[in-house]
Amino acid sequence: MGSTFNGLEVAKRAMYAQQSALYTTGHNISNANTPGYSRQRVNFEQTAPYPPASRNRPEIPGQVGSGVEAGTIERVRESFLDAQYRGENTKAGYWSTKAEALQKMEEIMNEPSENGLSKTMDQFWQSLQDLSTNPKDEGARSVVRQRGTAVAETFNYLSDSLQGIQTDFKNQIDITAKDISSIAKQIKDINDQIGDVEPHGYLPNDLYDKRDQLVDELSELVDIKVSTVETSDSSLEIAEGKYTIEIIGASEPLVDGKNNSYRELDVVYASDGADGEDADGPVTKLAMIDPKSKDDAVTSSLSGASLDALGSGKLKGLMESYGYKAEGAEQGIYPDMLTELDKLAAGFADSFNSIHKSGLSLNEMNGVEDEDYDGNFFTKSAETEGYAGSMAVASGIKNDLFNIAAEADGNDPTLGGGENAIKLGEASDSIVIDGKTTSFNSYYEGMIGEMAVESQEARRLEGNSETLKQSVEERRQSVSGVSLDEEMSNIIKYQHAYNAAARNLTTIDEMLDKIINGMGRVGR
Amino acid sequence: MRVTQSMLTNNMLSNMSKSYEQMGKYQEQLSTGKKISRPSDDPVVAMKGMNYRSQLTEIEQFQRNIGEVHNWMNNSDAALDKTTKALQRLRELAVQASNDTYETGQRENIAEEVKQLKAHLKDLANTKVNNKYIFNGTNTSEPPVTVNVGDGSLSKNFNQEFVNMEVSAGTKLNVNVDGNKVFGKDLFANVDQFIDNLSSGEGLEESIAAIDRNINDVVNTRADLGARMNRVELVEDRLSSQEVMANRILSDNEDAELEKVITKLKTQESVHRAALSVGARIIQPTLMDFLR
Repeated sequence: MGSTFNGLEVAKRAMYAQQSALYTTGHNISNANTPGYSRQRVNFEQTAPYPPASRNRPEIPGQVGSGVEAGTIERVRESFLDAQYRGENTKAGYWSTKAEALQKMEEIMNEPSENGLSKTMDQFWQSLQDLSTNPKDEGARSVVRQRGTAVAETFNYLSDSLQGIQTDFKNQIDITAKDISSIAKQIKDINDQIGDVEPHGYLPNDLYDKRDQLVDELSELVDIKVSTVETSDSSLEIAEGKYTIEIIGASEPLVDGKNNSYRELDVVYASDGADGEDADGPVTKLAMIDPKSKDDAVTSSLSGASLDALGSGKLKGLMESYGYKAEGAEQGIYPDMLTELDKLAAGFADSFNSIHKSGLSLNEMNGVEDEDYDGNFFTKSAETEGYAGSMAVASGIKNDLFNIAAEADGNDPTLGGGENAIKLGEASDSIVIDGKTTSFNSYYEGMIGEMAVESQEARRLEGNSETLKQSVEERRQSVSGVSLDEEMSNIIKYQHAYNAAARNLTTIDEMLDKIINGMGRVGR
Repeated sequence: MRVTQSMLTNNMLSNMSKSYEQMGKYQEQLSTGKKISRPSDDPVVAMKGMNYRSQLTEIEQFQRNIGEVHNWMNNSDAALDKTTKALQRLRELAVQASNDTYETGQRENIAEEVKQLKAHLKDLANTKVNNKYIFNGTNTSEPPVTVNVGDGSLSKNFNQEFVNMEVSAGTKLNVNVDGNKVFGKDLFANVDQFIDNLSSGEGLEESIAAIDRNINDVVNTRADLGARMNRVELVEDRLSSQEVMANRILSDNEDAELEKVITKLKTQESVHRAALSVGARIIQPTLMDFLR
């Protein structure tokens, strides 16, 4: 037989256990709206029965149960859904960044509209047609000059605006890299705390939640792989251990659970200046720096072509928008568009200039010498790179309308001839870009079309990944989310069990009362 | 699947925001009147839109050029009409003077009128429209016929280049009349000869024949001009029908169909209302409301 007070102990343990379940329920209800919280559950366990199987056990029939205890308090969560969520989150981060970048570009390009580059070119063409019908008219000449200036300025505006946004992307890249480093440090710190708690046989659920939330945040920025490292042999079987986090494509872990360390992310840009201070170039590599030694030369990095190896995420989206070097060439949404604009502007200006040069200006026909005038209408494009930003009407034209060459150099050129103006109007029909002859309109439409399709794709995939992310999040919530109804039912359940245990205690109490106060009075 | 209150709330919120997004799209279509607001809404529509816009500008410009063409041709025609009239008057006078009953004094009077007509013809050759001499080829800034200060004789220098204007892509039309064909060859020489003949009373028959030849030149030139004017009208007709077509295609391509958009908006609105009222029903009660 067990001891006299065994029943009291059983009832007391039951009360404690139910009480702890009630507290946990309270904790769940309190955190019903806490982001990242997963509901917790008390794992009730039966305590060891009496008597234990041993050599000198009392000879009693069977083993009597000794009640319940709160074994562990575990969070209800499915790590498979976490991995799935992070996979979608990283894609959503990537596509939404790209969609935003392209949307901004579309806003700048502003096509089709009544004030885009296309319209400006149409108006320039119109002014040349008007000039061809009134070649001597100073009004018509001045309109040509104005419209020509408008074309150059539109190129300047597009180029400047795109570069402005591009600079914003650089800032965003730097901020994102800082964010990643900061999250890595926080995860490392939580890893340390978890490492302190787990060996004592506890489950630091709230730390787990906080850490998973940080990992969720990180997954939006870069594509990561999470693995766990056991903290100690004395930890519970279901303890989660420390996280090791690797960026896909990187050669070193961002957070190292085994060595209790983390890395800071540093973005390295190609520098234009010889002294290496003017680092406005494309991204060349991502360096992983040990915060202790602060030496990025020592640590390995994602370099060159392997930027492509970076799986997905906001950082990759930003780098693709801003521009990065892969296999020696600069790539990216904004650099590409800027290059195209440069080519278009230079191709057009060159063919326009050569037609303009072949014609005769009023000054030339009048025998007026103008040292300022070299036959070009637009400034020369010695270098294609950056031309869209610097294109302007040549100073010869700017200073003297009589330098516009409206007449063709032919049999009997006259002041009132406008043959060359018609040819100038046709200049945009055949411009040479990359050695190929094309027309301004079709090339430009191609640029806009490509941007539009890319933007459409980014928007569609942004929507898709967002939907998938949401549906995974819903499934995750389905497992880990707090349901108030459920918690209320649990409260009732635990309360009833608690009451019943108390009643059990009273019963034992009455039983003992009978033994102690009511028995042994025979004959009195 | 285990469903919690917060899942319902989140679902409802995300559905509501999608619904608002749809309504926002329709609102934008209604307020701009356009199906798309940026190229990525529909890249094909956007590219076509750019193309059609350029086409339309081109058509409008060619129409403007045709206005200028009309200006040249109508004025040339009017000037030639006056030239014909002047020549006919000269012929009348020649016929009159060739009548033997006319005396020297009367023929001198006629000669005075002929001199005036000669000056008139000179002015016609120097017709100026919009500050341009229209009978001097592309050399529109200088008069083709000038009076020599010394003896009052005329010198002629006609530029015979075509004045071309583009009236549709690649089609250039010659808009001027070659002044040389009308005034250049022998018109003024004939008139001078006529004046001489008047004073001598001889060779008036030849003058009549000469003037007839000049009249013929003018008539031929006008016939050629008329044919060209005809062609301009054809081009003009084609341009105006092209304009209508281009406008329609542009509109078909990118304009929103109001009835369609409004219907969609109304449908979306009722879906939105339903979503709101369902939300209001689902979100409210919890077990707490029924337990005591």
